[in-house]
Parts: sequence; C-alpha cells; structure tokens
Amino acid sequence: MKKLTPKVIKSKSEARAWSVWAINYFTACGFMELLPWVGSGYDMERFGILAVPSPRHADVFIIAGYVTRKAAKRIKMIYDQMASPKYVLALGSCPMTGGMYWDSYATIKRVDEIIPVDLWIEGCPPKPENIGHGIVMAANAIKGGLEGH
Amino acid sequence: MDIEEKEIAFLTVPFGPQHPASGHFHALLKVDGETVLELEPHPGYLHRGFEKLMEYRIHPQNCVLVDRADVLDPFSCELGYANAVEKIAGLEIPGRGRYIRTIMAELGRILSHITWIGVLSMVLGFDSANKIAWGDREKILRLNEIATGGRLYPCYLCVGGVRRDISQEFVDETSKALDYLEGQLSFYDYFVFKNETFVMRMEKVGRMSAEEAIDLGATGPNLRACGIDYDVRKDEPYEAYSKVKFNVVTRGEGDAYARSLCRRYEIAESISIVRQLLKNLPDGPYRMELSPVWAAPEGESYFCLESARGEKCFHVVSDGSPCPYRVKIRAPSFLHTLVEFPYLAKESTIADIPAIYWSLDSCPADMDR
Amino acid sequence: MISDIESRLKSKFPDSLLNVVSKDKRITFSVKKEESYPILSELKDIGFNHLSDVTAVDYIDEQEFELTYHLWSHQEKIRAIVKVRIPRESPTVKSVVGLWTGAQIHEREDHELFGINFEGNPNLLPLFLEDWEEIPPFRKDFDTRKYVKEKYYLEEEGYPVVKG
Repeated sequence: MKKLTPKVIKSKSEARAWSVWAINYFTACGFMELLPWVGSGYDMERFGILAVPSPRHADVFIIAGYVTRKAAKRIKMIYDQMASPKYVLALGSCPMTGGMYWDSYATIKRVDEIIPVDLWIEGCPPKPENIGHGIVMAANAIKGGLEGH
Repeated sequence: MDIEEKEIAFLTVPFGPQHPASGHFHALLKVDGETVLELEPHPGYLHRGFEKLMEYRIHPQNCVLVDRADVLDPFSCELGYANAVEKIAGLEIPGRGRYIRTIMAELGRILSHITWIGVLSMVLGFDSANKIAWGDREKILRLNEIATGGRLYPCYLCVGGVRRDISQEFVDETSKALDYLEGQLSFYDYFVFKNETFVMRMEKVGRMSAEEAIDLGATGPNLRACGIDYDVRKDEPYEAYSKVKFNVVTRGEGDAYARSLCRRYEIAESISIVRQLLKNLPDGPYRMELSPVWAAPEGESYFCLESARGEKCFHVVSDGSPCPYRVKIRAPSFLHTLVEFPYLAKESTIADIPAIYWSLDSCPADMDR
Repeated sequence: MISDIESRLKSKFPDSLLNVVSKDKRITFSVKKEESYPILSELKDIGFNHLSDVTAVDYIDEQEFELTYHLWSHQEKIRAIVKVRIPRESPTVKSVVGLWTGAQIHEREDHELFGINFEGNPNLLPLFLEDWEEIPPFRKDFDTRKYVKEKYYLEEEGYPVVKG
C-alpha cells in the first residue's frame, strides 16, 4: 500500500492564504453574483472562505457594488474595527469610476476615497468565473507574501 | 413617606445594516427584556435616485437601467416600463413578442421564489436548504443566458417587443429545467415545508387579519395569505395572461406559514403557465422596428403588473421628447418593510424578528430605489 | 358598476369634478385643492379601500405641482385616479393619513424629494438622505449632472474623469 505523506504548511503566509474569512455584509446589486459562491453552484468553502458575522473575526472585506454616502460612514467604521492584517476586494465597475450610476447625487464614485483597495474585479456584475479567477489570484498573492494593512 | 418617581428606561437594540439576517436595512428595536415594544425603520442605504436618473436617458438606455430597480426579479421592471410607454403611444405588439414576454416574466417569478426559499432558510439557521436552493437557481440563470446573453440583468424586454428571438435550444432546455424543478418541489415539501422545526417557527407568527392587511397597503402573497384574492394577472389582464388557465392561490390564516405556502404553490402554477405558453407559441415577428431616438407623444399612463413581491405600478409622463418627463415606480417592498413590518413586530420576541421580516419577502434595493 | 359610482359622485359634488373620463374599468378626474379631502373621503366610503400610490409631478413651466392619488376597490375591481394641482411657491395640502394608514409613508417620501408639506402627517423626518443641504433633489431646477460634475469629476472635455 502506498504510504500517504501529509502536506506540510511551510509558512505563515501559506496558512493565511487558504483560510480567508469574509465579513457578512450584503452590499448592493453587484452582490447577486456572489450568491452562487455562497450556495452550492460554485461553493466558496472549498477555498477556505467563510462568511462571519463579526468584524473582529474577518480578514477580507468584499465591497460588491455601489456605495452610497449614507453607507460610506458605516463601511469606514467596520473597516476600522477589523484586525490587521486585512485585505479589501472591490467588485464591479461602480466602485471603480461610478459605473452605471455615475450621475447619481447619492453615490460615491471611487471607493478608494474612503478605504484602500487591494484587488479590483471588473464587470457589471462580474460573472462567477471572473470572481473565482480573482479569488485565486488574491490567494496566490497572499501566499507569495502580500502584506495586508 | 415620600415615594420617588423614577423613569423606566428601555434598551435600544440596533438590527443594523451589517447583520447576517437583515439585508442592507437598519431598524432600531426598543425592547423590554425579550419583548419588542416598538420598531423604527431607517431605510436609505441603497438610494440612488432612480427616477431622476431615468429622466436623462432615452428609452433603450432606460431598458438597461430599469432592471436594477428590483434586483431579485428584474423581468418585472422591464415589462412594466415597456408596457407603460407603449400604452401612451397605443402601440400593438405582435403575438409572438407577447408570448415570449410572458414566458420570461413567469421564469423570473420562479427564480425569485426559489431565491426566497434559500434566504429564509439561511436566516432561520437551516443551512442545508439554503445551499440546495441557491444551487437550483442556476438552472434558470442558464436559461436566461441562452435566451438573452445575460444571467441576471438581461436587458431583453424593450419598447416594441423583445430584443431577439428564442431558439429551439431554449425551448428544449426550458422543458428539461421545468421537469427538474417540479421534482425538486416535492423534495422541498418534505425537507422544508413539512419540517417540524420550520412549522414551529413560522406558525402563528406575525399574524394579520384581512382588514388590517388592506389598510396597511399589503399586496401580493402577503395579502392572498389573509384570504383576499387580488391578483393583477386576473383582475386587469395584460400580455398573454388572458390566454392561459391558472388558479390564484389563497389561504386563510394570515400568518408567516400561510405566506410561505402561498409562494410554494405559486411556483407550481408558474410552471404550468410556462408549459401552456410553450405549447401554443405562435409564429411571426417578435418586435416592432423603432428607431433608437423614437419619442412617445404627449400624455401619461399608469400600468400595473403582478411581480413576485406584489403589485408593481409604473406612472410615466411624456412630453413628446425621446426622454420621459417623469417616471414613478410603486414598489411593493416599500410598504411591506416600512408600514407592515413595524406593525407586526410589536409584542413579538427578538428571536422572531428575522422570521417575520423574511416571510414578508422584501428586497432592500426595491424599497430604496 | 362604473356608471353608478360616477352618478353618485356627481350628485353629491355637482360642480367639483373636472375632466371626467371613465372607460376600461378606470375612472379619472381632477379636483380643486380645497375639495380633495371630502371627495377622497367619499370614495373611501363607496368602497375604494386600497390606496396604491401618491405621485407628485413637477410642472415648472406652469409653476405647479400635480398630485395623483391611485385607488382600487377590491369589491368592484375598479380603479379610480384623482388629480390635484397645488401652487409651487408654498405647496401644502391636507394629509389622508386618517383614511388609509399606508399613505403616511408615501407622503413622507414626497415631502423629502419634492418639498411638499402635508398637514396632519405625524412623521415627516427625512427617509433616504442624511445631511442633505441642497434643494429637494427631484425638483426640475436641480440638475443632478451639474451637481455631480462639480463635486466628483475633474474639468475635462468629452467624458468625465474621476478626481483622486
């Protein structure tokens, strides 16, 4: 019988990369393409991602969609409460340049103004395969030594 | 002996915007121990000023924008806008276009109800049903992709008809998907709706009588669970609904369990409607050819339709230019969350608040627009 | 029946109904501002127990707002549409909260977005916007593209470029 050797995790970065916990915050219309990731369509638990309710337990903040001025204050409060090292992912074209609601009086055009962003994923909304590509890219970057903030 | 008068202070608990059970909606609960005395809603975290943005765009651009007004049931928004504008001009849509529009609207209703089963289970703590329901959603999103090219926000029902024709592959895949979903319905009956814990948590919770429901402005499955049979598809028929046979589902109890059963039986009715329409699909053109800067004449119209949440109405005023002068959307979730939810939450316990909220099936993006 | 409702209203308010149109199970008419509350109250007694919506439209050229009340009767399955014009300078009208409880939230939204005052409504605090200092945003003299370009975008020819 073949002897099974266990996989040894060699560094702190590798351990961090495959257990990234995301905070449970349904932001906006771009969130609808994260539902297959939470459900059984393209399950995210096999990548080690869980949705946790408390900001103190979370490692990554996924901003899916547009951010209004009223929600911006609360997003800043939650970001400040997350413990370091932490990462931010921005999904969709609305956090990048304003997107489809560029002429709305109530939304913020760049989410970069309030919190620093590590990875931008384009689309309106991005397809689940695009989001998967982004997640794997982020996990590999963390394994390679990307420092959180 | 003097007795001092002291004020009794109650605890205020936020049911905040960042909460696993609240969507993106904020409410302040005033509690005394475990009993909720008052609930004060604070909406507005998703407000974009939709109706103002639509005044700056021509009709094809509005077709792309309007289906983000209700993210869980986008076909109903597109249908409402297109019909309201066509009513001002008195356009006659060809028969095949009407049938295709009705098929897509009913598929959207099935999608919304399946998503609702998943969200309600997640909030009650029933993770298995959540994962299974959100996996079944993929079948209908695949049908959307075959017909229109877009999974969630299809931009398909425009002024004048539909954008492109449906193919034979769509008809075959739809029949297979409907057979699969009908089998899944009997599984959901056994796993979710007759589950002892689910019944215990939803029966006799959040009950309202028929007079209270009408006074508070309830429509859709929330009103039909109290015994009133108001369904816009039967009372003011539009599109191809006068050519199909279906039943209006009503129950009498008016509590959260009755609302859940209304939605479960509506899925079965929608499957039967789509099957009848596919069998009798007429041939011919599927749209009227209009130029992109086509302008409706001066006038106004009010068009009502039955979306998955309730009665949705579009009031469009046109002044003869390619952009509309004013568009008002009557959103069903606006009344369910801001008028009915505070009324039903009085004298209930904190643990029942998510069950009451999600049994009313409201969408925060629909409420704020 | 529509004809019964029309004749009952015309006999009780002989000079107040203007531009009456009744076809396709809908009856539409306009009334003056002072008589809106008694006529709506009479419609509620006839059986129109469901208030769908209270819509406001800004006609800036005529310096008037137009309010539209959409009612539905579950018994007769008929829709009634009542229009009221109010002046734009100081817009006030009596609230219908006493007749339909759901009207409270529709009037609160119209107050915030248009600036119309409803007398008798218990709660007219802001609903969607926080710390809003400009004029009510849905009025026709508020240009949202000009506001957004000054606040968020740089001065560029062609297309806007985001600041920052």
